[in-house]
Amino acid sequence: MTLPDTGDLSIKNVTKTFGSTTAVDHVNLEVQRGEFLTLLGPSGSGKTTLLMMIAGFEDASSGDIALDGASILNVPAEKRNFGMVFQGYALFPHMTVRRNISYPLDVRKRPKSEIESRVEEMLALVQLEGFGDRLPKQLSGGQQQRVALARALCFAPPVLLLDEPLGALDKKLRIEVQAQLKAIHDRVGTTFLYVTHDQEEALSMSDRIVIMRDGKIEQVGTPNELYEKPRTVFAADFLGKSNFLERSEATYALRPEKIDVAPSGDLQCAVSVTGKIQTISYFGAVQKLMVMLDDGKCLEVDVDIWRNRNAFSVGQVVDLGWTDDAVTKLEG
Amino acid sequence: MRRKSFADRIRTCAVWSLLMFLVLPALVAIPVSLTPKRFLSFPSSELSLRHFETLINSSQWISSFFQSATIAGATALLSTIFGTLCAVGLWRVSSKMGETVRAFLLLPLIIPQIISAMAFYHLWIPLGILDSYPGLILAHTILATPMVLITVSASLANFDPKLEQASRNLGASTMTTLWMVILPSIKPGVWAGALFAFILSWDEIVVTLFISRFSVYTLPRRMWNGIRENTDPTVASAAVVLIVLTALAFVSYELIIRKRQRSA
Repeated sequence: MTLPDTGDLSIKNVTKTFGSTTAVDHVNLEVQRGEFLTLLGPSGSGKTTLLMMIAGFEDASSGDIALDGASILNVPAEKRNFGMVFQGYALFPHMTVRRNISYPLDVRKRPKSEIESRVEEMLALVQLEGFGDRLPKQLSGGQQQRVALARALCFAPPVLLLDEPLGALDKKLRIEVQAQLKAIHDRVGTTFLYVTHDQEEALSMSDRIVIMRDGKIEQVGTPNELYEKPRTVFAADFLGKSNFLERSEATYALRPEKIDVAPSGDLQCAVSVTGKIQTISYFGAVQKLMVMLDDGKCLEVDVDIWRNRNAFSVGQVVDLGWTDDAVTKLEG
Repeated sequence: MRRKSFADRIRTCAVWSLLMFLVLPALVAIPVSLTPKRFLSFPSSELSLRHFETLINSSQWISSFFQSATIAGATALLSTIFGTLCAVGLWRVSSKMGETVRAFLLLPLIIPQIISAMAFYHLWIPLGILDSYPGLILAHTILATPMVLITVSASLANFDPKLEQASRNLGASTMTTLWMVILPSIKPGVWAGALFAFILSWDEIVVTLFISRFSVYTLPRRMWNGIRENTDPTVASAAVVLIVLTALAFVSYELIIRKRQRSA
């Protein structure tokens, strides 16, 4: 994959207020060309508002947004040339799949022959050859999602904005489409700016993730960095599961799968404590143990079921241990 | 099947009587139009089509028919354009200010027609459009535009605003978006509005009486005069023609809507 020659997006000190509420609060972010960047956060964290400002549907209250170094704040939405995949797809119901995909080229008055070949190319990209003459309502949710993607990529935008595009799909299909989306990103090389509240989507597809909270950026990093080295309680809790330990006036995060557990007396580890199993929840591949320590605090522990067949039962006293590098010191 | 109880029968009777009560007065024109006599009356022994003949052969009636059709057609066209643009504009703005403007635009529907009629009369004199096609078309358009605003706004309530955003995001200007995306989606509301506007103008009499005199003579006005001055049964046959035409228009409208719903 060669690096595209456009698609650097910089968000400089952008703020958006609605009346007395601040939806986006002095956000600074550099999106690099060709990158798959995910804005991850709970609803109300400002991620969709930020995306809408980039798309041009909302005006920034202050700050600047620039593409390849040039401010786009005064460019209307229809001139920004950003592709967008909407939540619920927003396909035009009265147009065929082909007309939907060719729409951005039609309004740009490109020559007919170019439009035709480009649409076929796009149908092939999203594996919908032969579906061109159908209406959107004659397609499944996953197929509609791919039409929306083809339509948004058809005019080769420098940046593709995706607003929770997989929200309407069921879980199994979602995982399939995640892989397809990542593959398409690798093929077209466009900057993808992806908004979601689903941490698994963020982890599996992104080059970098931006965790947002209350209109501010909580932490930015690669999926691995964010998972292994969360900086705050919020980041550790929102991306994956975490136990929080208070030691000498600092808070530490400890992932449930990084705790070793063994029947009492069996464990040799740097740090180890004793506790009693309160509940066991079954998840097929793993089981989650809630273990109450002697000081009354509960720890969540993930246990690989296959490697610990019939090892644990409710009420059992167990030893818990972890190595020093398993815990991450948090700020605040 | 359950046997119909006495109460059921009473209810059925009541419903049918009510329906008849609503429809029959209009249908009274049918027997009257078939009277062989020279004045408005029910036919006693024989039926005659002579008043239909008079109607068809009367240049005055035919002229009024075409005048009304022209005015109603122009009114439908103009008020549909204005009403649709208003509705789309208010929908896009969707603010408190917009709602105030909407209430304002609906005023012509709420103000008693006799008051509008007086207002038009006083305004049209200095404008020099009293008793003219432009004067009547303008007045009817002002009365009919709120109808279109209402039906189109109802259609827009079901329109997904994301489609508009998607269109703009894909590079379409506001006009292209209106033409290619919004209008096709709200077509039923636009057509219903046009139909209502046409019918409003087609049988408008109050305002028409005030602002027309000699040069414009619409069908309702000719019927009004026909009844008031010479109790001519031709009025009844004209009424029958109107009833039939209106019924045909509504039936075909319903058929088109149903066909579209089936294909959708």
